[in-house]
Amino acid sequence: MRSIAAAALIGMLAAWPAIPAVAQLSAGQPALLPPDQAFRLSARALDPSTVEVRFDIADGYYLYRDRLAFRVAPVPAGRVNLPPGKVKHDAFFGDVQTYRNAVVLRVPLTRAGRAGEKLTVNADSQGCADVGVCYPPNPQQVEIVVPAAGARAGDYVQAAKPRGWFN
Amino acid sequence: MKRRTILVGGAVAGLSALAAGVAVFHSTSTAQRDGAALLDVVLPDPEGHDQALAQWRGKVLVVNFWATWCAPCRQEMPQFVAAQAALGSKGIQFVGIAVDQVAKVTEFSEQIGLNYPVLIGGFGAIELSRALGNSLSALPFTVIVDRHGRVAQRHLGPLVQPELDRVLHGLLKRA
Repeated sequence: MRSIAAAALIGMLAAWPAIPAVAQLSAGQPALLPPDQAFRLSARALDPSTVEVRFDIADGYYLYRDRLAFRVAPVPAGRVNLPPGKVKHDAFFGDVQTYRNAVVLRVPLTRAGRAGEKLTVNADSQGCADVGVCYPPNPQQVEIVVPAAGARAGDYVQAAKPRGWFN
Repeated sequence: MKRRTILVGGAVAGLSALAAGVAVFHSTSTAQRDGAALLDVVLPDPEGHDQALAQWRGKVLVVNFWATWCAPCRQEMPQFVAAQAALGSKGIQFVGIAVDQVAKVTEFSEQIGLNYPVLIGGFGAIELSRALGNSLSALPFTVIVDRHGRVAQRHLGPLVQPELDRVLHGLLKRA
């Protein structure tokens, strides 16, 4: 019976490469991650007027610093100070900065949110994989709750339902 | 209980085999269907004039989805320029579809002396590439259509020599 299960599994594995039309560069190379998994967004409210946003970046992937943009609703976001990235020379765009592993940034709000108020954090990012592919600008969204003034920072919330380009 | 498990296992194996069979069967008709869909595409060139991909029907057509914001795309394009120069008279036609703005496309095209047409697809071209099998919407993505209008290759990531030459020469030899 176990061998039948194994045969079924092998059957599924054998069929697998034929199903996703193009999911990897070529045989022997690791399959590429969808952008929402390569660049995992999470956010939390540090206090009623500050949101902390975090990207966890998978090994072998990087984000462009200048391609990050944030919007918060209903309390609008102020100007974000982006931490310096690693400088990389680009033949067409000149020096560009990239982030790897993780990047954490603070998004100041233009006014304090009310305790318990829901905030929608929208983040646009654009990145690439070292194997030689780039993803189009990727919008992601996460909902967080404003903590009471003086209370501890809220917990990180992962972008739950990844919102890709056409899904 | 035991019997039911075996039946389920067998059913899964059967479905898997069926899926594999369907995928293989599917790929032949998909090659024809996707090739036809691609040859139906009409997009503007950087001057704003509509260009139909059908004008290159009968050639081995290499359609490369790219953007200036994609460094690996820019890196592979000089090879395409060389291949177009070497094999253009033998029936190879490269066409770029840029997921980008006209100004950037024009600037980069001039920089590398692009010798094949580029059409402006904007971000809508990502959807077209997805329909052709680019499930991750990543770039560069290249689709090669044979002389009979069938998709012969779909490739995500840079196409490298000598692989590119091997594929193109193979398709040129085919009647």
